[in-house]
Amino acid sequence: MRKAMSVLISLVVLWGSSPACGKVYIDINSPAFQKFPVAIPTFKDTGGTKPGENLSVWFAEQLSQTLNLTGFFKIISRDAFLENQDSAGITREEIDFPSWSAIGSDFLIKGGFSYDGKTLAAEFRLFDAIEGKFVTGKKYWGKSAEKKIMVLKFADEILLALTGRGGVFDTKIAFAGKEGNRSEIYTLNFDGSDPVRITAFNSLTLFPRWSPDGSRIAFTSYKDGNPDCYITDVASGRTQKISAFRGLNLPASWSLDGTKLLLVLSKDGNEEIYLKHLDSGKLERLTDNRAIDVSPSWSTDGKKITFVSNRSGSPQIFVMDSDGKNARRVTFEGSYNTSPSWSPDGTRIAYEGSTNGCFQIFSIGEDGSNLVQLTFEAGGGESPSWSPDGRYLAFSSKRNGRERVCVINANGLNLRALPDIPGANSFTNPSWSRRLNLY
Amino acid sequence: MKKNSIMVGLLVLACSFSLMFVSGCATDQAVTTETGVIKSDATMDQILAAETAKSKAEIAAMRKAAADKAAADKAKEQERLLAEASAVKNIHFAFDRYDLNAEARNILGGLADWLSKQSAWVVTIEGHCDERGTAEYNMALGERRAEAAAAYLSSLGIPKDRIATISYGEERPLDPRSNEEAWAKNRRGHFVVVPKK
Repeated sequence: MRKAMSVLISLVVLWGSSPACGKVYIDINSPAFQKFPVAIPTFKDTGGTKPGENLSVWFAEQLSQTLNLTGFFKIISRDAFLENQDSAGITREEIDFPSWSAIGSDFLIKGGFSYDGKTLAAEFRLFDAIEGKFVTGKKYWGKSAEKKIMVLKFADEILLALTGRGGVFDTKIAFAGKEGNRSEIYTLNFDGSDPVRITAFNSLTLFPRWSPDGSRIAFTSYKDGNPDCYITDVASGRTQKISAFRGLNLPASWSLDGTKLLLVLSKDGNEEIYLKHLDSGKLERLTDNRAIDVSPSWSTDGKKITFVSNRSGSPQIFVMDSDGKNARRVTFEGSYNTSPSWSPDGTRIAYEGSTNGCFQIFSIGEDGSNLVQLTFEAGGGESPSWSPDGRYLAFSSKRNGRERVCVINANGLNLRALPDIPGANSFTNPSWSRRLNLY
Repeated sequence: MKKNSIMVGLLVLACSFSLMFVSGCATDQAVTTETGVIKSDATMDQILAAETAKSKAEIAAMRKAAADKAAADKAKEQERLLAEASAVKNIHFAFDRYDLNAEARNILGGLADWLSKQSAWVVTIEGHCDERGTAEYNMALGERRAEAAAAYLSSLGIPKDRIATISYGEERPLDPRSNEEAWAKNRRGHFVVVPKK
C-alpha cells in the first residue's frame, strides 16, 4: 500500500543548482534561532480542477500548517501581501521580489497545479525573496487523494534546502492512552494525523518502545495480572510475551540492530537493568546495586547507557558503559531527576527534573555540562523522547487535570499538544519512532 | 521372686479355663434365642426396618441440620473474616520514600497477628505512588513500598509463600486530584487479603 503510493507519485526536480552545496546553515536548534519568515500565496490553478474544490487555497493552507508544525517558519499572513496575485506568475521572471521582501518575507513559496480528472499534477518552488533567487523546486504527479503527501514531500525538500536535513514527517509517536484504570497503546503521525490503536487488552498497558526499524513495539501490560513485557508486530498485530518474571518487567531501549532490548526486572526483589537477547532469550544483568535502577536508554553508538538510580539517596541520572561497568553520576542539581533519553547525535541527554515543586524537561551533556531547562509551563513535562533527527522532543504534560502528549523543538520553543484520541482521556509515555518511509 | 511368677502363671491358666467354659455356654444360648426371634416374629423385622428407616430419615435430617448449621457458621465466620480482611487499613509513605513509619508497622503488626491465626489466608500487597515524577520510576517505587511491607510481615513470622506483591506505580490513584491531600492518600500500600485458593 505504502509502496504503491510512492510509485504512483513521480517527480521531477525543477531547474536550479543544488542549494545545499557549500552552504552554511543557521543553527536551528539554538535558542537564539529566528524562524524563517516565509510567504505562501495561493497556488495557481492551471486548469481542469473540479469546481467546488478550492485547491488553490488548500495547497497554500496545508503547506503553511505543515511548515508551522516544524517550528522553524514564521508564516506571513496573506492579508499583508502586496504583489498583485492575479498578474503575478510562479516562475522567477514573473515574481516581484521587492514586494515580498518589503513585508519581511525572506522566503517565498509559489506553486501551481492541474487536474485532468485522473491525475493531479502539482509543482512547488521555493525562492529566496531577498536575493531574488530560485532555491529549489519539485513537480509531483499522483491521485487527487495523494495531494497531502505531495505537500509533505515538498516540506521535506524545503527543510533539506534551508537546514541541510529533511524533516520527520514520516515518523510516528506511540503512547499510552488511559481511560479510568485501563490503558491501551496508540500511535499518531508527527502531524497528529492517522490515529491507530495498537493494543486491545482492556487492561493496564504502558511504556511503548519502538523497535529501530519501526516494525515492532515493546510494552508492559497487566493483562495477565502481573506487569509482563510484550512485543507486538505492528503490521500483523501478532503479540508475544517476552518476559514474565515475578515483579516488574519493563521494556526500555532497543539496540540499534533491533536484536537486543534493555529491560528493568525486579525478579530478585530489587529493580535492576538487564539486557535481553531477543533471538536466544539470553538475559544479562547489567546493574548490581541495592538501590532502584530503572529507565535505561542506549546512546546511538550503543557504547553507553544512561539510566536512573537512587543509589546516592535521591533519583539521579547516571551513565555507564554498555556492559554495566564504570557507572558515573551526571546530574547534581535538584533532588529528583529521572527518565533520561539520549539524543540521536549523542551529545545531549534529555530528562525530567523537579524544580520548584514542578517537573520540567531539561537537557544536559553526558559529562554534566551545559544544563538547560527546556519547559517552563505550569503543566510541566515528563518522560521525554527525542525525534530521530534530534530536533524535537515529545513528552507528557498535565494540562487541565489530564495528561497529554506534547512536542517542543529541542530549543524549548514551539510547544504543541498532539490531538486527543477517542476512547481515552489521558495520554502518557510517548516514544518517537525512527523515520518510517511512510511515503 | 521366681516362685511368685509361677503362682501368677497358674492362676491365669485357671481363670482362662473357667472363662472358656462360661463363654461356651453363653454362645449356645445366644444362637438359640436368635433363631427363635427370626422364626417366631417376622413383623419385628418390619418394625425394625420401619424404625430404622424413620431413624435414618431423622438422622439424615439431623445430619443435614448439623451440616447446614456448620456451613452457615462457616459462611458467617468466612464473612466475618472477609470483613476483617477487607478492613485492613492502607499504609502510607512520604514522597519518594519506601520506609515504614510507626503507623504502618502498627497496621502490619495487626495484619501479621491476624494472618498467623488464619493460616488458610494469603495477602497481596499493592504498592502505589502519587502522580508526581516519572511513571517508570514510580513503578519501581511502588514495588519497593510493597516489598518493604512484605519484608516486615515476613519478619513477624508470616511465611513468604503467603505474601505476594505487585506495583501499580502511579497508575491507580485513590484520589485523582493534584494536591497534597490527594498525593498523601495515593502514596500507599494496599492489602488484598483472601482465602488461599
